[in-house]
Amino acid sequence: MAEAHQESSGSGDFDLSQFYQIFFEEAGENLDLMEQMLLNLDLETADDEELNGIFRCAHSVKGGAATFGFSDVAELTHQMESLLDKLRRHELQPNAMMVDVLLESADISRSLLARHQAGEAGDPPDTSDLVRRISELASGAAPAAVAAAPAPAPVPAPTPAVVAAPPVAAPVAATPTVKGERQLEIRMGPLERLDQVDPVKDLFRDIAGLGEIVDLPSDQPNVRVFKVGTASSNEDLLDLFAFHVARENVHIRDLGEGEPAPGSGFDDDPPPGTPIAPAPGFGFFEGAPGAPAAAKPVSAAAKAGAKAPAAQLAQPEAATIRVAINKVDQLINLVGELVITQAMLAQNSRTLDPTVYQQLLTGLADLDRNTRDLQESVMSIRMIPMSIVFSRFPRMLRDLASKLGKKVDFVTQGEATELDKGLVEKITDPLTHLVRNSCDHGIEMPQDRLAKGKPETGTITLSAAHQGGSIVIEVRDDGRGLSREKILQKARERGLDVSDQMPDSEVWQLIFAPGFSTAETVTDISGRGVGMDVVKKNIAALNGTVEIDSAEGVGMRVSVRLPLTLAIMDGMSVGVGDEVYILPLSSVVESFQVKPDAVSTVGQGSQLVKVRDEYMPVIELEKVFQVPRFDHDKSSDIMVVVEAEGSRVALLVDELLGQQQVVVKNLETNYRKVPNVSGATILGDGKVALILDTSALVRRSRH
Amino acid sequence: MDVMEKTDGVAAVGAREYLTFRLDQEEYGIDILKVQEIRGYEKPTRIANAPEFIKGVVNLRGTIVPIVDMRLKFKCAKAEYNDFTVVIILNLRSRIVGIVVDSVSDVMELPADNVKAAPEIDSVIDSSAVMGLGSVGDRMLILLDIEKLMSGLDMGLVSGEE
Repeated sequence: MAEAHQESSGSGDFDLSQFYQIFFEEAGENLDLMEQMLLNLDLETADDEELNGIFRCAHSVKGGAATFGFSDVAELTHQMESLLDKLRRHELQPNAMMVDVLLESADISRSLLARHQAGEAGDPPDTSDLVRRISELASGAAPAAVAAAPAPAPVPAPTPAVVAAPPVAAPVAATPTVKGERQLEIRMGPLERLDQVDPVKDLFRDIAGLGEIVDLPSDQPNVRVFKVGTASSNEDLLDLFAFHVARENVHIRDLGEGEPAPGSGFDDDPPPGTPIAPAPGFGFFEGAPGAPAAAKPVSAAAKAGAKAPAAQLAQPEAATIRVAINKVDQLINLVGELVITQAMLAQNSRTLDPTVYQQLLTGLADLDRNTRDLQESVMSIRMIPMSIVFSRFPRMLRDLASKLGKKVDFVTQGEATELDKGLVEKITDPLTHLVRNSCDHGIEMPQDRLAKGKPETGTITLSAAHQGGSIVIEVRDDGRGLSREKILQKARERGLDVSDQMPDSEVWQLIFAPGFSTAETVTDISGRGVGMDVVKKNIAALNGTVEIDSAEGVGMRVSVRLPLTLAIMDGMSVGVGDEVYILPLSSVVESFQVKPDAVSTVGQGSQLVKVRDEYMPVIELEKVFQVPRFDHDKSSDIMVVVEAEGSRVALLVDELLGQQQVVVKNLETNYRKVPNVSGATILGDGKVALILDTSALVRRSRH
Repeated sequence: MDVMEKTDGVAAVGAREYLTFRLDQEEYGIDILKVQEIRGYEKPTRIANAPEFIKGVVNLRGTIVPIVDMRLKFKCAKAEYNDFTVVIILNLRSRIVGIVVDSVSDVMELPADNVKAAPEIDSVIDSSAVMGLGSVGDRMLILLDIEKLMSGLDMGLVSGEE
C-alpha cells in the first residue's frame, strides 16, 4: 500500500503523511480503548462483548500497521490478536498474567508507533521477548485454563462458565435435562449479506462441545434459519453470535429437548408447515405474530433489546467527528468578533426612535439572541469530558499500588463533566500529583488498615462537578489523613509563624508552603513527595484555587476549583488616565477610596497604605505603565486590593469602570511578553485592553 | 560579495511583484505575498515601556496585532496621523504585524534586471534587510526584506533570549 502511494503520487508525500497522521491518531485511540477495557475486564465474568471489543482494537491496529508497512507493530499486534482470539473463542480463560502482558504490549506498540511517527529515529524497542511470551500464553497456558474451568467432564464446554454474566443464569436458562442438550431453531435476519453469518457455523465447528448446527431453508431472502442442538443457554448463544450478527436480529426458538435424531437428518425434511413431534408447529414461518410460540422469541428479542442500548451508551464516540483544533479556535475568534460587532450595533441603535425603526430594532434583538446562542454553542465545542483525564489514572494507580504493595480501589464520579480542552491538558499533571500523593502517602499498607479496623483495600475517589461558573475536581482518599500536630511541629521547625489555635483550614494551607513536603512531615516515605507548592502554583496559574479538608485517620480531600474555560475570565475594568486595564476578578479582594494622608512612605519612595490593621504596599498603575496624563485635575484616588501568591498589594487607579466577562487573548502570538501584563482582551467598543498580571505586580512590590 | 549573492537570489526567482509605499520622500517596496491587507490608521492601545516606534496593539478581527510606525523606526522628519495614514498588515511567517506608512503607492512587477544591488551605505536600516534597489523609470525603489527587518531584535517585536 505504502509503495503504491509513493508511486502514484510523485508530489504526494504530504497526502501520505496525512494518512499516517490519521492512522497514528486512530491507533493511539484504539490502544487507549484497549487498555481501558483490559483494566475493566473482570477475569471471572468476562463477557463476549468486552473480549470482542478488545480483540477489535488489536485487530484494527494490526490492519492499519500492516497497510502502512509498519511490520514491527503489525507483528506484535498480530500476536496480541491471536491470544485475544483464543480468549474470545473461549479456548483460553483470561488470567491476570495475560492482562499484564497485553498491557505491556500496548505500551510497546505505542512506543513503536511513536518511533514511526518521529520518522524512525532511534533504536526500536525489542519486541521479541514480548512476542515469545504472548505466544507462550496463547499455547502453553491452555491446560491451566481448562483446569480452571470446572466444566462437567462429558460436556467439555467451558463456555457457560465463562460467558454468562451471572453464572447462575446458565443452568436456569439451559433447561436441565439428562443430556442437557436442547434443539433450537435460530433465525438470523434481516441480513445485509447471507454469508455474513457463515462464521457462526464455524463457531460450532471450532468450539468443542458447543453443539451442532445445520441450515434450514428460509422463507425470506434476507433471513437465514438454522437448527441447532446445544447445551448452551440462549444468552450464551446470543453472546457468541454477537460479533457476527446484531443481537436484536437473532431469534431463538426452543424446539424441545432431547431430539433423538441429532440434526443431520433434518436437512431432508420438508420444511414449512410440517409438525414435528413436541413442537406445536413451525408457526414461525408465517411470522412471529399469532404463532403460539411467539412469546419466546419476543422475550429473547426484548432481552437483547434491553442490552443493546446499554452497549450503545458505552460507546458514544461513534457520533463524533475529528476536527483540527485551530479550526475550532478560528471559529471561536470569529464568533468573538461577531459578538463585538453585535454589541456595537446594539450600542449605536439605542438612540433610534423605536416607532420609526421598529423592524430594524426587532432584527437587532434577534441578532442579539442568536449571537449569544451561537457563542455558547461554539464555546462548547472546545469542551471535552473529564473522562479523558480520569481514564489515565486506573492504569497509573494499578502500577503504583502494586509497586507499593498497597490495595487501592479507584472510583470516579462525574466523568461526563465538561471542561475546556486547554484546561484539561493543564490540569492533568497537578491531578496526577494529587492522586499519586493519595496513593503514596494517604492510603496505608493493607495490614495497617486492617489493624485500624478499616477495609483492607483503600479507596481513592476522583470526582468532577460543575458549581456555578466553575468546575470542582476532588481527590478523596480514605487513608491516614493529615496530622495537625506534625504539620504544626514542622512549621515551627521551619520558623513559620503558627499557633496551636489556628483553625484546621489554615493548618492544611501550610503544606502548600514551598519546600514543605508532605513526605517529610506526615509520612515516612520520602524522596517521592511532590511539592504541593508546585501543584498550587500550577492551579493558581489557571485562575483556580485548592482547598484541603482532612481528618486524621479517616482520610483527606483536596478540592480544586477551576474556571470552566481559560478563554473567558471574569474581569474588573479600571481606568487610569485615558486608558483601561483589566484585573482578574478572582484576585480582587476589595476596593476603597483613599484620602491622600492615608498613604505613608517608608524610606525613599516605597508607599504603604493602612487597610484596617494591615499595612500593604501601594502600586501606582500610572507610574508602572507610564500612563500619560492629559487632564491634570484628575488623579488616582481609588485603591483596589488584589491578592496573589499569598500576598496583598493595593493598586492605585483613577476609577472603577465595571465588571465584565472578557475573552482572554494572547499578546505573545504576534508580539512579545509585556512585563506585568498577562494578556489582552477586546472591549465592547473594539479597543484592546491589557489584562494585568497580578502575581507579577505582587512580586514587584516585594523588591 | 554578500550583496552579490543576495541579488543573484532575486534574479533566480525572476520578476516579482512589490507593494510600494512612501515614507517621507523615500519609496520602498516589499514582497506583495507578505501583505495581508491595508487599512486606515486607528489609535492603538499603548503598551508601557515599549520602544517609541511600537505604537501599541490593535484588534484585527479578534487578533491582537502590534503596530510599528516605520517613520519613527526610520527616523523620518515627521510622523503625522491623519486620514491618509495607512497601516499595512503583514503576514510574516510566524506572526501578524502592522506597519504605519505615509501612503501606499501601487503594486508593480519588477523584472530581475531592474533590481540592482544596494551599495554599502550608512543608514538607519540594517543593510542586510535591503534586498536591492529597483529602478522604475527615474524612480528608485528601496526593496526591503520585510521578514528579516521585522524579526530583527532591534524591532523589539520578538523577545530576546530570556
